Amino acid sequence: MKLLKFGLRFWIALTSVFSFMVGWVMIAHSPKPVQSSTASSSVSAPPTLTPLQPLNFNSNNSQSSPFIVQSPSNIAQAPIFKTGGS
Amino acid sequence: MQSLEFRAMNTSVLLAAEGHDWAMAGLNAARRFIEDCERRFSRFLPESELSQLNRFSGTWVTVSDDLMDLLTQSLDFYNETNGLFDPSILTDLKRAGYDKSMDEIRAHGVSSLFASNRTSRPAFDETSLDPIGRRVRLPHGIEIDLGGIAKGWIVEKAAALLSSYSAICAVSAGGDICFVGEPSDGSRWRVEVEDPLKPDETVAVLHVGQGAVVTSSITKRAWSQNGQPRHHLIDPRTGEPAESSWLSVTVFAQQMTLAEAYAKALLIGGAREAERLCSQRPEIAFIDVNANGELFCSQNSKEYLDALDYIRF
Repeated sequence: MKLLKFGLRFWIALTSVFSFMVGWVMIAHSPKPVQSSTASSSVSAPPTLTPLQPLNFNSNNSQSSPFIVQSPSNIAQAPIFKTGGS
Repeated sequence: MQSLEFRAMNTSVLLAAEGHDWAMAGLNAARRFIEDCERRFSRFLPESELSQLNRFSGTWVTVSDDLMDLLTQSLDFYNETNGLFDPSILTDLKRAGYDKSMDEIRAHGVSSLFASNRTSRPAFDETSLDPIGRRVRLPHGIEIDLGGIAKGWIVEKAAALLSSYSAICAVSAGGDICFVGEPSDGSRWRVEVEDPLKPDETVAVLHVGQGAVVTSSITKRAWSQNGQPRHHLIDPRTGEPAESSWLSVTVFAQQMTLAEAYAKALLIGGAREAERLCSQRPEIAFIDVNANGELFCSQNSKEYLDALDYIRF
C-alpha cells in the first residue's frame, strides 16, 4: 500500500513537472501578438504637430540665446497704460 | 513698481509689477513666456503650431493643451456672437492684402494689388474638437487666424504668471491690457483711450481695477489695396473689411479673451448688434468712437470713465 502511495505521488509530481516544462516551451515558441500597423488599420493615426524646440534659458552665450535679457526699470508710480488697438 | 518694455507679436509690450527682486524675476519670466507663445500661435511663422494646424485642415491632428483651450474658447465665442467673432476669416484677410506681417506691409506694401473673388468656405462651427484626445479637425478648406484672441490669451496667461511673483501687476500688448490687483497707493489703474482719428490724442481716461481692457480699431492695422482703404477686421458676413459705423471699441471685462471677442464683435456688428450682444453679457462695459470722432459709452462703463467728452449710449 505504501509503495502504491509513493508511486502515485511520484507519478503526479513527475507529470506536473513535465506539463509545466511543455507549457513553458509552447509559450516561448508561440508567435508574438501582431501589432496593427498604420497601413493595415482602417483608422489612420492622427499626425502630431511638431513640438517646438526647447528654450535654452541657461545659455551664457547671448548670441545663441533667443531672448535679450533686459533690466526692468524702477518707477515710482504705476505706469499710465494706453489702449487704442494694435 | 518695476516695468519692462519690449516688442513682441508685432506690437509693443509693457509689463509692470510692484516689488523688487521677485518682481524683476517675474517680469523676465513673463517676457520669456510671451516670446515663446508668439512662436507657437503666429500665422506668419510657417513652423508655428497654428500654421501646421492650418496646413492639415480636413484631417484630425493632435494639438497642445493651450491650442485646444484657444480653439474651444473661439468656438464658444463664435456661437455666442452669432459668428461676428470668427477666426476662420484668414483666407479673406489674405485676399484683402494682409498676407504678411503688418511691419512688412508698412515697409513694403501689400503683395497682391487686386483682391481675388471670394470663394465659399465651410463655417467655423463645423470644426471638430476632441478635448479628451486633444485632437482637432478643421473643415477642409478653411484657415484660421487666432490673432486677437491669441494675443489676449497670452496676455492673460502672462499676467497670471507674473502674479505668482507679484500680487499687483499688469501686462499690456498693443493696448490689450490685463490688470491683477490694484496699485497699493490706493489709486486705480489709469488707462488712456487713444483717439482713433488722432492717435497722439486721448479721447477718454479709464480708471479700472482688476480685469481686462481691450480695444479693437479699424484705423490701426490699415493699408491700401489698389487705391482702396483696407483694414484687418473682416466682417465674416461679407468677407470684406468691416464697414462699421464705429472706428474703435474699447471693452472692459473680467476675462481677457472675452474682452477680445466682444471688442471685435461689437466693432463689426456696430450699434445694430450692440444691444443684443450686451444683453448676453451685461457684465461687459464698453465705449466706442464713431466716424465723427464722437464718444459713446454703455451705461455700466460710466463708473470707470473720466471722459473728456462723452455721450451716454
